[in-house]
Amino acid sequence: MSTPLLRVEDLLLYYRAGNHPVHAVDGVSFTIEDRGQAVGIVGESGSGKTSMATALMRMLPKNVESFRGSIQLAGQELTTLSDDQFRREIRWKKIAMVFQGAMNVLNPVVRVGEQIAETLIFDGMEKKTALARADALLERVGLPAGIGSRYAHELSGGQRQRVVIATALVMNPELLILDEPTSALDVSVQAQIMNLLKDLKEDPGISMIFITHDIGLASDLCDSIAVAYAGQHVEFGSADRVLVEPHHPYSSLLLSSLPRLHDPAPPVPMPGEPPDLTHPPAGCRFHPRCPYAFAPCPVIVPPEYRVEDGGHARCFLNDREIAGDRYQIHLQATIDA
Amino acid sequence: MIAVEDASVVFETRAGIFKSGQVHALDGVSIEIGVGETLALVGESGSGKTTLGRLTLRLVEPASGTVSFLGRDITHDREQSLGWFRQRAQIVFQDPFSSLNPYMRVWDLIEEPLQIDGVKRAGERRERANAALAAVDLIPTARFGSKYPSQMSGGQRQRVGIARALVRNPDYIVADEPVSMIDASSRIAILSLLAKLQQERGVSFAYITHDIASARYFSDRIAVLYQGTIVETGPVGTVIDHPLHPYTAALIAAIPEPDPANRHRRREVVPGEPSPSSTAPTHCPFYSRCPRRIPGTCDAARPALVEIEPKHEVACFLYSSASHTPAGTP
Ligand SMILES: Nc1ncnc2c1ncn2[C@@H]1O[C@H](COP(=O)(O)OP(=O)(O)OP(=O)(O)O)[C@@H](O)[C@H]1O
Ligand SMILES: Nc1ncnc2c1ncn2[C@@H]1O[C@H](COP(=O)(O)OP(=O)(O)OP(=O)(O)O)[C@@H](O)[C@H]1O
Ligand SMILES: [Mg+2]
Ligand SMILES: [Mg+2]
Repeated sequence: MSTPLLRVEDLLLYYRAGNHPVHAVDGVSFTIEDRGQAVGIVGESGSGKTSMATALMRMLPKNVESFRGSIQLAGQELTTLSDDQFRREIRWKKIAMVFQGAMNVLNPVVRVGEQIAETLIFDGMEKKTALARADALLERVGLPAGIGSRYAHELSGGQRQRVVIATALVMNPELLILDEPTSALDVSVQAQIMNLLKDLKEDPGISMIFITHDIGLASDLCDSIAVAYAGQHVEFGSADRVLVEPHHPYSSLLLSSLPRLHDPAPPVPMPGEPPDLTHPPAGCRFHPRCPYAFAPCPVIVPPEYRVEDGGHARCFLNDREIAGDRYQIHLQATIDA
Repeated sequence: MIAVEDASVVFETRAGIFKSGQVHALDGVSIEIGVGETLALVGESGSGKTTLGRLTLRLVEPASGTVSFLGRDITHDREQSLGWFRQRAQIVFQDPFSSLNPYMRVWDLIEEPLQIDGVKRAGERRERANAALAAVDLIPTARFGSKYPSQMSGGQRQRVGIARALVRNPDYIVADEPVSMIDASSRIAILSLLAKLQQERGVSFAYITHDIASARYFSDRIAVLYQGTIVETGPVGTVIDHPLHPYTAALIAAIPEPDPANRHRRREVVPGEPSPSSTAPTHCPFYSRCPRRIPGTCDAARPALVEIEPKHEVACFLYSSASHTPAGTP
């Protein structure tokens, strides 16, 4: 097998806060096999999606208590690089990010074209060349000519989000992380941005990590999907499989809790409340809310069981030895759903 | 319960980036909500959903048209004479983070409306507050009642907002994006709760939302707004499954549902974004973005809302040549 474009293994990130660390990222693994592929990270608020992304960008807040694991980009281990090396070679150059809410914090007094060119000029490019490159990028993301000389407040929400995407693309990154890039936009503008992201996957073949709490939106772009819950990825696999045959009860409950546009049947509410990450539940993090929980769940942390599509699921129901009949029932339930 | 007839709302805008002028937030809008019925109001940001909700509560006064509650015209009633109405009609605000005073405990927040209504006995106020907390599943009520909003999650705060509206036992509630700040997985829990209250108490709702799929589940009828006008209205299932207006169709086509086939196709999208109008439209407001526009017709007059099939109305020249005449014109 060839080297995957991105391999994240056992990533862990705890914050210091009061007496107990916040287990924001707690043993997360996933891969992006090829160029131009996208992985969707879906999960409810507070499940650690943004924390995982800032860890990949190494843009961590001061109160980090521990940060470990392995991040390999095209075979290169990134976690062992010095901060200086990471800044010079990786951040923005190979991995770029569109931050949550970035479209609302564009600099109001600098023309958007200059904002994009700034990084290039800082990097030593001549101003005129940099501005021309900025204009080309603005055109690439579907904005009309001349928009580079406008200020952020003169643009609509959708236009501002395109500017933010252009800014992230300025150094030709291989991997683009997008954190809720469309949640502030109307559905029709959102669809325009999603089409743009689809284009960028094909040409120039950018790989993406797409963070969202909207699993429908993730299915619009992503080849594989990771389902985040309480700092862990309870399930990871191809979108074709996860959306149709989830192997973790949280994923299946998540899917059945969504109202469907053309189905009058009422959705099933997700039971319970999300946990407090300073005191995550022992054993499986989802067990207090899980209708299928049995003996080992509150006690033992489930490992990542392999799934046929190369993904994994953290649930004992995938273990025929431990789950016995339950395993069969679980399989049947996912097939019925 | 509530009837709005041919109402228009104009805001004066002052300083800021736009020169002083007017925004026609609503233009010739009519709606009716029956007893125990829910009407969903959907449409892009700025289309006038909140303004229409506030109009039904007489929190704004229309420039023309009428608003009535239980058959009584309240269009121009002064605030002093609206006391009875204020007790019976309530709003749940869009944003649970800014709409709750952070320095008040949950109990005090919920009891405040009762205090305004002159419920003098503290014991009665607390009892009713606890009943409202229990109704929104914030149990044990003593634990949640003594918290401050900052100690609660977004979903819990949104429930507090709902409890605050419920404590007066209203007949009509405007729920302005009551679940927008909550994860999709918890949204249904709150909407189910509202649906339950509706069944138990026969409350009428205006449900304002961006989430059209949830409207299907939590409403009877739907009204689609575009730039301050209703472009289509009808039974919620009919409109979602068989949209007539090109704008409604585009809005619905743009919603991604979890489906692995999605990523293999591009979404049909209408280009551009709506821009607030400073004058009342004299032609179809969707004209400039419409994929099916008929030049010479759609830019010459404004289409009227016409019933095409039972209870399903659309304002579009593809279906009827009737045009809209503003109120007051003979
Ligand atoms: N700097 C920090 N210090 C302490 N705790 C933090 C810090 N940043 C985030 N957290 C906590 O870590 C957990 C994960 O937060 P994170 O922002 O990664 O979640 P998220 O999945 O991106 O949520 P959302 O969907 O709301 O953006 C949360 O409980 C959050 O409160
Ligand atoms: N108090 C006000 N003064 C001036 N203009 C206003 C005021 N309130 C609303 N508007 C304008 O009226 C129009 C309709 O606004 P409204 O808030 O009703 O839209 P909405 O459909 O609720 O949007 P959103 O989905 O963003 O909440 C917008 O152009 C808005 O800018
Ligand atoms: Mg986040
Ligand atoms: Mg609004």
